[in-house]
Amino acid sequence: MAQTETTLTTKKKSSLSEKTKEAISAYIYISPFFILFGIFGLFPILFSFYLGFQKWNGLGEMEYVGLQNFEWILTDQIFWTSLSNTLIMWVLGTIPQLIIGIILAYALNSALIKMKSLFRVAIFMPYVTSTVAVAIVFGIMFNNQDFGLFNVILGWLGFDPVSWGTSWWGVKIAISTMVFWRWVGYNTIIYLAGLQAIPNELYEAAQIDGATIRQKIQYITIPMLRPIIILTVFTSTIGALQLFTEPLIYIGRSFREEGITVVLYLYREAFTNLSFGPASAAAIILFIIIIIISSINVFIANRIGR
Amino acid sequence: MKKWLMTILLSLVVFSLAACSDDSDSTSGDSGEEDSTSENSGNEEETSSDSGETVALDFWIFGSTGYQELVDEYMEENPNVEITINEGEMNDMHNNLFTSISAGSGAPDIAQIEISQVEKFLEASDQFYNLNDYGANDVSGNFLDWKWAQAQNVDGSFQIGLPTDIGPTTMFYRTDVMEEAGLPTDREELAAEIDTWDAYYEAAKTVKAETGKFIADTPKLVFNALRDQQEQQYFNKDNELIIEETVKEAYDYTTKMIQEGLVGQNELWTPEWGTAMAEGTYATLPGAPGWMVANVKGNAPDASGLWDIASIPEGAGNWGGSFLTIPAESEYPQEAFDFISWLTAPEQQLRSFEIAGLFPSTPDVYENEEFLATTDEYFSGAPTAQIFAEAAQAVETVHMGVNYAVVDTELSTALTNVAVDGADPQDEWDAAVERINSQLERQ
Amino acid sequence: MSEKTGSKKVSISKLFVYLLLVIAAFLSIFPLYWMFVMATNHNSVINSVPPAFIPGSELVTNFTNVINTIDFFGAIWNSLIVSVVTTIGVLFLCSLAGFAFAKFEFKGKNFLFVAILVTMMIPPQLGLIPQYFIITQLDWLNDLKAIIVPGLIDAFGIFWMRQYISSNVPDELVDAAKIDGCTNFRVYWNIAVPVIIPAFATLAIIKFMYIWNDFLWPLVVLREESSFTIQVALRGLIDNYVRDNGMILSGTFWATVPLIIIFLLLNRLFIQSLTEGAVKS
Repeated sequence: MAQTETTLTTKKKSSLSEKTKEAISAYIYISPFFILFGIFGLFPILFSFYLGFQKWNGLGEMEYVGLQNFEWILTDQIFWTSLSNTLIMWVLGTIPQLIIGIILAYALNSALIKMKSLFRVAIFMPYVTSTVAVAIVFGIMFNNQDFGLFNVILGWLGFDPVSWGTSWWGVKIAISTMVFWRWVGYNTIIYLAGLQAIPNELYEAAQIDGATIRQKIQYITIPMLRPIIILTVFTSTIGALQLFTEPLIYIGRSFREEGITVVLYLYREAFTNLSFGPASAAAIILFIIIIIISSINVFIANRIGR
Repeated sequence: MKKWLMTILLSLVVFSLAACSDDSDSTSGDSGEEDSTSENSGNEEETSSDSGETVALDFWIFGSTGYQELVDEYMEENPNVEITINEGEMNDMHNNLFTSISAGSGAPDIAQIEISQVEKFLEASDQFYNLNDYGANDVSGNFLDWKWAQAQNVDGSFQIGLPTDIGPTTMFYRTDVMEEAGLPTDREELAAEIDTWDAYYEAAKTVKAETGKFIADTPKLVFNALRDQQEQQYFNKDNELIIEETVKEAYDYTTKMIQEGLVGQNELWTPEWGTAMAEGTYATLPGAPGWMVANVKGNAPDASGLWDIASIPEGAGNWGGSFLTIPAESEYPQEAFDFISWLTAPEQQLRSFEIAGLFPSTPDVYENEEFLATTDEYFSGAPTAQIFAEAAQAVETVHMGVNYAVVDTELSTALTNVAVDGADPQDEWDAAVERINSQLERQ
Repeated sequence: MSEKTGSKKVSISKLFVYLLLVIAAFLSIFPLYWMFVMATNHNSVINSVPPAFIPGSELVTNFTNVINTIDFFGAIWNSLIVSVVTTIGVLFLCSLAGFAFAKFEFKGKNFLFVAILVTMMIPPQLGLIPQYFIITQLDWLNDLKAIIVPGLIDAFGIFWMRQYISSNVPDELVDAAKIDGCTNFRVYWNIAVPVIIPAFATLAIIKFMYIWNDFLWPLVVLREESSFTIQVALRGLIDNYVRDNGMILSGTFWATVPLIIIFLLLNRLFIQSLTEGAVKS
């Protein structure tokens, strides 16, 4: 405390120039992102926004159609289906993945465990595995027929087999499982980095004060990990709302209603139906939804553990 | 002072980054360097090609065409032409071509386009050379009429591509299952026995009763086989949706078979589909074209001699095959055309049949003794070339329409729902029609 | 007495933790193992029901087929270049930017940070054609730069670095270094960088794997075999109508092996930095 006060007083001497220097450094440090984004990211975004008001098949001339595209999308029942699918799979796939991620990271960080690197490598493997392999493996596990792995397990438990690939919940559960499986390891590694940065002394001190494990988690781990938790909640929510690869792998180009997500929907509009206008309109609507949900998210995350 | 120090640092950073990527460039292989030089030389040639120097042609292909051997031969005979083949996965190559044409740069001199994608690119015919301007009319007689017409606009004035291979459809069948069911195992006799779709339905009931097996395991194949015999399928020439009049009957036939337990529920290309091939859990593979031969052999290497090929009831259709096109970006349309008309000429088509099994689209070849003598021991010694050639000549010209895939995807979904979930066929049909209409409305 | 029950409690919870990790590890690694099994079997075995669970005899045959069909090692080399250069670039740029956002005060800081986050919210799929257009204008087609330079844009990386630095680099240290007359860059380099090595290792792992496995964008801009990254090259194993899954998965499996090695190397860095930290404190 005293130290910071002294710094403040010494700083005051050249306060103004010091501040400007800091600001200039900061601008320079962050400029590469904005320069590169300006070159490679901005134009595509403006282009998409522009396309939202055009009729275009990707090859011929464009034609201004006003709000027609938005009207089409907002009155299309399949768009709303895709939105509700996306939200359902967000709840099924993303939220458990964050909770299990924290638990695994906590276990991996615990001092008691041997062969940590082995477990760490193993748990991260799904993120490394290529989508080709994932598609084949999950296709076999979620087979519609009685011999599919999950149907065999259901049979042991005395349930009837589920037609995973065509039923309303079956498709969603299969895709959510894939999302869960692919991203748990990813989040575990991120949490682990955060956990490892928490000094052991804090836990030791708490131990001396007679804190229980639960108290340690509540008063040390969660508050110290808060910035990282906010990060993962924020990024995985965006990732979930832009869910694309896993449903594409699982339902493929049939774009079945049971599993179509918003991004898959706009992808179909653009690249298989060649309706770039409606596709862009759907992208703009999705963007607005993401902004709203992220804002709510950040608002809630900021209150938790504060 | 620190300010400009930072500026220098930043420029150092930028510089080092630039250096990095330059570095990676040169290390990415001298071949990378070659590319750029060959591109440059390509540009130089633009001015110097008159003086008879080398013409560099980029040639995009997909799948196993075996074209490299023929290209090498062509370059030997024409030392002024240098052809570079880029081979990739089928969808990737089409997507790249689409992106290049959409953005107006990066398209090759020659691009292979599959039949299912031709109509899409015909929409952008200003982005391709009209091959009629380079003498395509003169070689049109080489090819099957229906195949030739597939790469034309509606009035026939614009020819986007020259035909390569085709996929005339036949019926593969398991001799062991047929025998068990008490049906003929000889291909001629079987074709005579199952000569109509009604007869196919009766045979299905016999197979089911005698062996407990399906007549076919994939509903979509039955549907496709019937659909491909219609003169009009999903759209008429004015691109109006006409499925109610044309393919509803095929749909009803297929769903009736499903509901009576005569057809299985496997989807194409799935592992269980492959397994069924090996185990012989069904009797026929209707609508199978020439390239399906390799699929069956790959999935069921131990079933040699258990398969045979007969003609399909009520006439063949076509599944697959491609065209060679010249995008408008090419600077050497004449040279490119000379090459593709050589490559698709009967002699070369016969060669690529021998090398890679691409079935020729030039009827001349069908009279070649050596070609006709091709038999396949795996398929009980069937004269495959002859059977496919007969099928090829029975195919009718069909206008597919640019939205063919939209309709096809939704009808597939309907069939799957009926087969897997036991959904009501009429409800599924209505739902599919509704989905199709909502997608078509926006284009 | 109480000590005894205590240790018992520890061993029970230890057992529980082990059990949890073993199950998680098994579920995570199983598909990779299965990929290996399929990579060593003939196509027909892969398609059989129930599928094979033990390695077959086609290990060499399948991989020989891969090498005969595509330039496997050339593509691995390209992938290494792309992944290494992009990862190093991202680590540097993102940690600098994250440091600025975490420790410096400047006008528009919050706005600019939110702007970076908003860029993550735009669905990228539609940008394909305009982005391709930019690459052709720069004449970067078939050039690894077309992957590397756009790959340096990493909003997540900046976010990650900011979060990590803000909670792990003490303000006191930064201020003290400034009093000692360090330039801002030296503060970053001498104070922040050593503390955030685990953050580097984490971001490096994530970014490297991502670039290595990405194929949607490389497929669009790399069209000549000499420039193919491994994922693009592997697409070439997929035939038009006939799929040899044994060969495809063989290529896929061996393309994963370098990743596992890289992971183990970075993992070491992860642990080293930890023990160093322990010694320091």
